[in-house]
Amino acid sequence: MDQFVDLLKSAMPFRMVPDNLIRDIAEICTQHSFAARENIYNLGDIADDVYIVSSGSVQHILGADSGTSQHEKIMRRGDMFGWAAVLEGQNTRLAATSSKEPTQVIRINGKELTRLLETDPAVGDVVMTRFATMINKEFSVPRSIADLVPGFKQALTAKSLQGSEVTTMALTVYRISTWLKSPRPYLMIIGFAFVLGFWYLSVEIWKLPRFVDMPGPTEVFTEWFSKDPYYGLSVYTPEYYKHIGISLRRIAFAFFLATGLGVPLGLFLGWSKSFREFIFPLFEVLRPIPVLAWVPLAIIIFSGSETPVVFLTFLASFFATTLNTMLGVESIDESYSRAAYCLGASRWQTFIHVVVPGAMPYIFTGLQISIGVAWFSLVAGEMVSGQFGLGYLINTSYMMIEYPKIIIGMITLGIIGYSTSAMVRMMGDYLMQWRVRELALGDN
Amino acid sequence: MSAVLNENADAAGDVTKGAISINDVVKIYDPDGAAVMAVDHCSIDIPAGEICMIVGPSGCGKTTLLNAIAGFHDITSGSIHLDGELLCGPEKPQAEPGSDRIVVFQNGALFPWKTNLENIAFGPMMAGKLSKQEIYDKARSMMADAGLSGTENNYPGEVSSGLRRRVEIVRALMNDPKVLLFDEPYRALDSLTKSVMHEALLEIYYRNKVTIFFITHDLEEAIFLGHRLIIMSSRPCKPKKIVEVDIPHPRDYSVLTSPRFREIMIEAKDVVHEEAQKAFDAGEKEG
Repeated sequence: MDQFVDLLKSAMPFRMVPDNLIRDIAEICTQHSFAARENIYNLGDIADDVYIVSSGSVQHILGADSGTSQHEKIMRRGDMFGWAAVLEGQNTRLAATSSKEPTQVIRINGKELTRLLETDPAVGDVVMTRFATMINKEFSVPRSIADLVPGFKQALTAKSLQGSEVTTMALTVYRISTWLKSPRPYLMIIGFAFVLGFWYLSVEIWKLPRFVDMPGPTEVFTEWFSKDPYYGLSVYTPEYYKHIGISLRRIAFAFFLATGLGVPLGLFLGWSKSFREFIFPLFEVLRPIPVLAWVPLAIIIFSGSETPVVFLTFLASFFATTLNTMLGVESIDESYSRAAYCLGASRWQTFIHVVVPGAMPYIFTGLQISIGVAWFSLVAGEMVSGQFGLGYLINTSYMMIEYPKIIIGMITLGIIGYSTSAMVRMMGDYLMQWRVRELALGDN
Repeated sequence: MSAVLNENADAAGDVTKGAISINDVVKIYDPDGAAVMAVDHCSIDIPAGEICMIVGPSGCGKTTLLNAIAGFHDITSGSIHLDGELLCGPEKPQAEPGSDRIVVFQNGALFPWKTNLENIAFGPMMAGKLSKQEIYDKARSMMADAGLSGTENNYPGEVSSGLRRRVEIVRALMNDPKVLLFDEPYRALDSLTKSVMHEALLEIYYRNKVTIFFITHDLEEAIFLGHRLIIMSSRPCKPKKIVEVDIPHPRDYSVLTSPRFREIMIEAKDVVHEEAQKAFDAGEKEG
């Protein structure tokens, strides 16, 4: 066994093959002895095994139709022959071999060897490539014969083939099925159940002292899904959708404005040093001012009740988007822009083809944050100024002592806020297919 | 010695473009007022079509030299010519990066947001001289030659690291460069993949003869690939010993076990080891 391992390691195609695979191959080796001038196999015999010389020497004569330039070859310790056994579509010997002196060889079944190599395709492919090189170079047999050595390219590119077939649909199904198999959905249900249960128990069963005025889940959900709501707001009343619609419209205005201004500004801040030195300090001073501090100024500057709310919503989003985009540009590995210059790209081409896509992951992180803070500032703005909208609904319900409507407004905000941020994430996945595929297939 | 050179010149074929001449180059970095000499009066002449291996310990300033040729950095004094034309010199301290000298980066610089095919087509697309169809046809046929068929529409992140390196070399060759500059490209690969990459690189080289300026600290890699080894002293960087590798091309992996390979290895090893020791004593960091 050990002597097989040593011998295999000294054979050229197996050099650097990991030990465990070498040992597996050694398992299927058998030893054979030949006296001097004894025939090992003949031209046209069935090719089943490959041979490695362990001691002595072997005369190897290739047949006339093998196309070789040198027919005779002497094989010594560590040399391999009988490789017809691993060729695809070749089941007879291409050469005649005989021992020149008392000789020992080991035999390995070609099919079993191929099967073993297939178990580790990356290594197997290297060994097979070496076989092909050896047949071509050492035995000077034409490339067409060497090409009969099977490769495991399908294994090498298996991942990539998979990749090209990953459609958005398949990816979604894949994600849902792994999600359902993981403990995550069940933990999620437990989490919701826990909060709802606590709400129900504390308000409706235990009637805790500070919870007296708080509406319980039964009251809220009855009201929410009632065709004839007591406080006049449910999924059946147009008023409910008017609040949602107006909030969504403000979010859309503010978010697109913030993205449209923030992304280009962030790109230029990251790209041009002098531009950054000019703008960034100002930016850094304005950024920490909370949205609420802008409220009076917004009301003074902007007329009506609509524009101040949109402006406030825009502000926080704009800062988040700009800052993340700038960080995105700074995160790009310098090699990428250097490579682009090397390949003859101009400064502007490098900006379009390297800076913009390179910053994309950070830009979308920024947009996720941006849509979140947009809802935050929207509600703050709607509570202070403006008419309609979910923030306005919550605030007026509080003043009118219509408490169930507060909770309906809050839960609606949660659901719609989550949906908008999911939409931003989907948009990002769509624009960054390269990232989706990398992540879906595991990073290598 | 000159006979060996001629033999190597034959091996390089009839390449007429891509001779690099580095003359007395000095590079001094001056961060925080503490001047550090990275390259010290370095002169190297590389004939067209040669695979020239620059060997030295990590952080000895080899990459500084490569960056000066590529045009990423300026030089303090001296000059670098490509085929007799000035790249950088006294009046023009920094060369203009261009597609006649393409760098293959240490960690690979394929654009992860472009497919392999788009990456390979990038240079000609930027030049805008050919139609998209012509460029893509050429890219596809070069990919087929390099055994990359079937991976055209994959993103680099989806294929093995070995395949990525091959794509990167093909991307460079698409621009018919005079010189390929390799900055330790196989450093992060395991030895098995590395051996395959070496054979693949030589195969590509035999088909597209260009001058190769290859930085490495791996002596086996250097001898296996190179016509000539230039062993650099540790910082400041200057040529310390030149070793001719008179093993004829084309080579394959069986060369590694040949006696001549061992002899060259022994000849080079002492010098390299001495420099590595010096670098270590000087507390040089990786880089």
